[in-house]
Amino acid sequence: MEKVKKKIGSFSFWNWVTASIIFRLILIYFPKNLNLSSRPEVSTPLTSFRRLAEGYWLKQSFMSPYAGSMYHGSPLLLSLLGPLTINRIEGQPNHLLYSLVSVIADVVSAMLIRATGQNLRLAYLRSLESLDLVKQIEVSGDIAALIYLCNPFTIVACVGLSTSPIENMAVILCLYGACSRLIPLAAFGWVIATHLSLYPAILIIPVIFLLGCGPDSPPRKLFLQRHQQKEVLNQSKLPPRFSWGPVIHFAFWAFLWSVYVLVLCGISLKQFGGLWEMFKSTYGFILTVEDLSPNIGVLWYFFAEVFEFFRNFFLIVFHVNILFMILPLAIRLRHRPCYLAFVYVAICSMLKSYPSVGDSALYLGLLGWFVNELADMQFSLFLFCGYVGVSLLSPVMHNLWIWRGTGNANFYFATAMVYACLQIVLVVEGVSAMLNHDRKLRNLITGKPQDAKS
Amino acid sequence: MAETKEKSLSDEKPKPRVRPIVRLGIFLISHSFHVSVVCCTAGVLALFLLPVLAKNTYISENALMPGSASPMLSNQHVSDGNRLVKDLTNPNSKSSETGIESHKIIAQYMLDLGAEVSFHKFHPQMNQFHPLHFFSSPDSGKIQENYSCSSYGINTVGIIRAPHGDGKEAIVLVTPYNALKSGFGEALSLGIAYSVFSLLTQVTWLAKDIIWLVADSQYGEYAAVAAWLREYQTPKFSSLSTPNAEMCPDVNNLFELKGHSISGSKFSNSFRRAGTMASALVLKVRDQNEQFEDTISIYAEASNGQMPNLDLINVVNYLAVHRQGLRVNVEKLWSLLNSSWLKSLGEIFESLAKVAKSLYPKWKFGIPATEYVEGTATLASSLYYQALGVPTGPHGAFRDYQVDAITLEISPKFSLDKVWRNDILLRGGRLIEGVIRSVNNLLEKFHQSFFLYLLTSPSKFVSVGVYMIAFAFLIAPLPMVAASLYVDANSSSNCSKGDSSTPSAITDTDEHSIAIRSWRWLNSAKLVFIVHLWGAIVSLLPYFISQIPDCSPTTSFMIWVLLSILSLLTLNSVLASPLACAKATQEKEWALVKSVTISSVFIGLGLMSVINFATAEIGALLMVPMCLLAQPLKLDVRAGTLRSFCRMICNLVLGHIAFPPAALFLLKGMLDGFGNANVGDFWMWVESLWAWNSATYLFIGMVQLPCWVLCISILFHTC
Repeated sequence: MEKVKKKIGSFSFWNWVTASIIFRLILIYFPKNLNLSSRPEVSTPLTSFRRLAEGYWLKQSFMSPYAGSMYHGSPLLLSLLGPLTINRIEGQPNHLLYSLVSVIADVVSAMLIRATGQNLRLAYLRSLESLDLVKQIEVSGDIAALIYLCNPFTIVACVGLSTSPIENMAVILCLYGACSRLIPLAAFGWVIATHLSLYPAILIIPVIFLLGCGPDSPPRKLFLQRHQQKEVLNQSKLPPRFSWGPVIHFAFWAFLWSVYVLVLCGISLKQFGGLWEMFKSTYGFILTVEDLSPNIGVLWYFFAEVFEFFRNFFLIVFHVNILFMILPLAIRLRHRPCYLAFVYVAICSMLKSYPSVGDSALYLGLLGWFVNELADMQFSLFLFCGYVGVSLLSPVMHNLWIWRGTGNANFYFATAMVYACLQIVLVVEGVSAMLNHDRKLRNLITGKPQDAKS
Repeated sequence: MAETKEKSLSDEKPKPRVRPIVRLGIFLISHSFHVSVVCCTAGVLALFLLPVLAKNTYISENALMPGSASPMLSNQHVSDGNRLVKDLTNPNSKSSETGIESHKIIAQYMLDLGAEVSFHKFHPQMNQFHPLHFFSSPDSGKIQENYSCSSYGINTVGIIRAPHGDGKEAIVLVTPYNALKSGFGEALSLGIAYSVFSLLTQVTWLAKDIIWLVADSQYGEYAAVAAWLREYQTPKFSSLSTPNAEMCPDVNNLFELKGHSISGSKFSNSFRRAGTMASALVLKVRDQNEQFEDTISIYAEASNGQMPNLDLINVVNYLAVHRQGLRVNVEKLWSLLNSSWLKSLGEIFESLAKVAKSLYPKWKFGIPATEYVEGTATLASSLYYQALGVPTGPHGAFRDYQVDAITLEISPKFSLDKVWRNDILLRGGRLIEGVIRSVNNLLEKFHQSFFLYLLTSPSKFVSVGVYMIAFAFLIAPLPMVAASLYVDANSSSNCSKGDSSTPSAITDTDEHSIAIRSWRWLNSAKLVFIVHLWGAIVSLLPYFISQIPDCSPTTSFMIWVLLSILSLLTLNSVLASPLACAKATQEKEWALVKSVTISSVFIGLGLMSVINFATAEIGALLMVPMCLLAQPLKLDVRAGTLRSFCRMICNLVLGHIAFPPAALFLLKGMLDGFGNANVGDFWMWVESLWAWNSATYLFIGMVQLPCWVLCISILFHTC
């Protein structure tokens, strides 16, 4: 994953982009051999391509696409991507067109990540300058884009015909729009991302911070201290205070876009039960964890075991878990909204009801934005080995359980738990590394010697 | 993994209060040398203790109730079986070139009993290169284009429908039979099967259908059974190959004749099925007899070291020993039986057990030395066949479809005159009857007993919980040593730079060094990644080499070696060039490389232990010492102490032994003598591995070979 970082010195960015696209295209030509689209790691009930095709087929034959509990995605995806499930080119792999769409989505996401990374880097340089700390910092945008493109998780999600490349693109679009202050775009990305997979709804907090006070910078307190030392209070060098104008602007656009999306959905589902049907079988399906088929998350096992009359209670507990973490993190990391977004995405992909490797691909890509700040992160080798080990072990355990019959569900669930633990370690270490970085900046300014914590 | 976590904590300056678990981790890491010596010794010792720790088998599934009913097979059925044997061995039946006559005889006999009969025609599949096959679900196989009429086989299948069953389950009885050159043993095995079959058409207790498959073994026993199973489990809806086979005149001839001679309505041209298979028995009778009593050998290893449920072996063992008075055998490594060092080891264990028993009478774990030697020989062969990943008989085909199956091979005592023949027919038939009756009682598929075990004798086994301890001891030092090397490499760079860096002087160079410090391992990870990529390429190369026509094994092997070296050089020059400039700045580069190598070996071994334990165990015995000891030879030469000299010798020896072809050469030499070892042997061995979808092939190509290359590169590191 992070391996890409060093290679940039010798190879240009575009070479790597081309190489990764070519690699995807090669893999697309062997769909039968890889059979990735039926792997539980890649296609969850929400992102599965086969379910999308089924939903489209149902809709074409004038039935509700949600009939039979097969399809649980958005009706807009059906209208946009549905025709691609049927169109075929003679002599080519069956789902070539759809695969090409995923490849394009991946590339667009990578470009957006790169542009956002450059924005962040400029902002970071500016704030360091105003703190009189001149540093040479890495080109984090390129690194993040390459991590996203060359990550095996992204490649697998793209070749495995899941819809997660498109969901990821919506999330990245939202962050890009917020960073470059394109408010309608940010609102559009946020509404679409929320519409497609619900969990990105909590990204509204980092987006508000982004729009209100601008991209990531050291804590505001530091600037004040710095200027107190110099005994000249230069307002122009301070980061701007929180301004409500763009936020209200954003709220207006978000409202507009959501009305638009809902109207479109309503039109396309007019004969099949309308919007209520959609809410029930998309968001309801996500929140009530109806499908207990194995995936790389931890919820399926738990809800397969839990007694029926405790089910509602634990559903609330599990979902509130995410909500509980929102506020403390928002307070602690409010000066770094993009990092806050990364942490939220990572937490969601850990606790969501149907996680897939596509979600991990997203937050690992976003991690690349912060290579400068996270240079001191601990356990990097441990995390890397853990990710490699789990992603190899999980298919083997699945094979042992399903095909060979010598293992059982516990074998597979064990890898899911290890995976969840790895993500927890990543988030905890990432946040503490970021706080340490802030602490180090403060020490540099106040002139205190570096204490043990830095 | 916990150790890795703690090692970074130890990286920091001491905090006032350290939690006990962290302190324990720091302690383990700082004493990693002693810990790894202790752990490795314990691992090897535990491996040799396994025969002592083996438990007696017991029948875990209550429903089986073996031997609770008295056998119903009578002399009447035996004489029926005898009749078939006579007809088959009659020289008149061998007149046809393709041996169709004998198939007709068998089919006629089955029809006379009232069974449903059908023929299954198949083309033997060529050996294909699909090393990843073990990983995917069984498919219907690729349809080959060029079938020739000259090469096809005919399986004869007879099915008895159970009077009390719902037709959802079945028990399979397989007798391999080569109509062209059948020995007397094969005819006798058919006789035994027939006598059981004739009994089963009459009994009322049958709850599962019985399928009797006479597998045409002229293209190998496994191929015939596998072809029938593939057709049974994954029907081809395209049916491209069936018309092809039926275009051959011989086959049509067969059907026409059948239609004329047999008026029975129960004969059908189409493929017949019964329910899902509960279990399968493959029955063979050996022609030669070197044993002094009637013995029955059990072969259980399927592909990739998968074993059938232990209960199946238990039932056979129980019935054979306690009801039919047969001696039960499992494979042994005969060369180990006479080894004196093993005997003395057994005596040491025996005397230790005596001492322990005198100290405390309730400690009873010793076994006699001879039993220990036999147990070890059996265990070694069990490990060997599991590690090879090649099935030991036609039963292996069943395991791919999750059906528990074993091969029973009966070796009769005396020459097969009339009386002895009847006796062996009776006893063999009663054994089969008893096993079928037990399996017939099953309510679900076998699940109670173990799937993961090693046999030390037919009635003793080592379960997964015990043998994993030996393996865990062996690989436990890996993460610890990796962590301590990582910490060392990091702290050494810290010491050199940490003191000089006053807080105000964090310039861009220092910032850069910090970035390097935390992510320095990326360079080593890149090297390890490249070597593993090379391993993948090397594993794929035989696919292309095997396409070259008329290539002797030796030439193929040479081409393989040449291409491998070439690809390593190319990869190194294309991808690894930045390494050379990075090396100058990093003084303990090799330590990081070693650390990442050890981590990757740990992942690889852990993964393999789940797929095929025996391979991982043998691989760990070779690779763990090599990884742990690897250190640049230059450093050892410079140090010049006795310890470094010893380490250097160990390194050089291990560096030679752990190279896969060298390891195979040694193994072959130990088993058959060094005289007839050949360079091409390795190629043939590897060919057999991938033809049987063995995961061992991937393990050698993608874990062991890269590890060896990395260790060698550490040895010759210029530091």
